[in-house]
Amino acid sequence: MARPHIEPFCDRDVHFKNMLLPGFGRDMGFKMLSLDTDSGACSMTVQFGGGYKQAPGFSWSEMEMMVVEGELRVGDRSVRKGHYFFVPAGYAMPAISSEQGALVLMMYNTAEPSHVEATEHHPQCQLNLYHDVDSYMDIPWAVGNVTKPSVASGCLIKLLNYNPISHAMTFLYCMTPNFYQDNISYHDCAEESYHLWGTSWMMQFGDLPTGGYFWRPAYINHGAFASEFGCIALGRTDSKLFNHFHYNPWSTPVQNRERSGARLYQRDPLLYRWAVSKDHNHPHGPEDFETTMPRRGEGFDQAGARVSDGKQHSHWHGHHHHDHGHHHD
Amino acid sequence: MSFKNLFIEHQRSAEEQAWIDEEIAEQEARFSKIEKEMQDLAPQRDTWYHEFLDRVSTIGFNMDGDDKLVIKPEDLPVKPEGHRDRVVWKHGADGD
Ligand SMILES: [Fe+2]
Repeated sequence: MARPHIEPFCDRDVHFKNMLLPGFGRDMGFKMLSLDTDSGACSMTVQFGGGYKQAPGFSWSEMEMMVVEGELRVGDRSVRKGHYFFVPAGYAMPAISSEQGALVLMMYNTAEPSHVEATEHHPQCQLNLYHDVDSYMDIPWAVGNVTKPSVASGCLIKLLNYNPISHAMTFLYCMTPNFYQDNISYHDCAEESYHLWGTSWMMQFGDLPTGGYFWRPAYINHGAFASEFGCIALGRTDSKLFNHFHYNPWSTPVQNRERSGARLYQRDPLLYRWAVSKDHNHPHGPEDFETTMPRRGEGFDQAGARVSDGKQHSHWHGHHHHDHGHHHD
Repeated sequence: MSFKNLFIEHQRSAEEQAWIDEEIAEQEARFSKIEKEMQDLAPQRDTWYHEFLDRVSTIGFNMDGDDKLVIKPEDLPVKPEGHRDRVVWKHGADGD
């Protein structure tokens, strides 16, 4: 089964293990934060030792990386703490090294960690998805209302990655000192967080300090929330984030999911009725015609099919209708 | 869970499978430790729950952002009979 609920966990409580998987450089230590028992997808705190060197290459898995401390050399660039990478599966990264060592977060999203030496991208790589940014220096803090209902003011975010299909997000968030939010929340998606610095409190799990981490499956209560002295963290969701707020500390995940269904029924009754009225056995959900409809393709006679120069709207007559009084049906 | 992104087919080596198996075993141990710690926190949590109910019925419940609604004391939920406090759910609503 997927990743289990790991909350709360603090990586400061365990030692680094040597990464012995092929392809990675020597002197790479890791602390496992959470692992998908089927796919091998995982999130790890990683320590690159001083003098670490890794050859150019790609991973079979999509990967996200955040520099927490220290400096990395990536190709001919130096990147420092706060630098975030989104690396699609099969994307060949340049050589990576660290003179003095660096602490990073590495998140493999679709398979176990891997590094295949290569200077060219895999042919299946979705190159256009790659991006990296100095999130500390080059993105301003924005108010936390990326979704409504939203968090209380004092919780700010920087959006780092957004998947337009699943609405999965990666973001930095911070809580100002003395932040508090008095509600209990749950979501229809899994949620993950790593505390880069500082401590926050949740009513179910207590304090989460620097190095604190959680992977929380959908529908699990969390909150009320507070942070006495403030904190900054990296957060992720694996699909659309919706805040189902309530004030019943004793509700269970099964009850929470039922309530989500009730709210879907109240909001989108037609869709809800259709979805539950059929046995939708397709493993990838209902058909989306945008991905299955026949398309013209390369051999199609594009010129022959053309009826205009591509700038024409024949319904715009370009003259005044009142002159001869005709009208459209 | 799935990020619904590209997965490139590849062969998982015996070495990689062994690595995963070792990590799964350690994760099981980590999970059990957390579960126990969270059970031990139950008495403290009970106080936190009741303080929370006091606050939402006095200062208010955060409905959306800073918009607050003061919950009438008579509308506060009641702890279910025989409820065993639990906050760690291995696979969420999908059971253990
Ligand atoms: Fe949340």
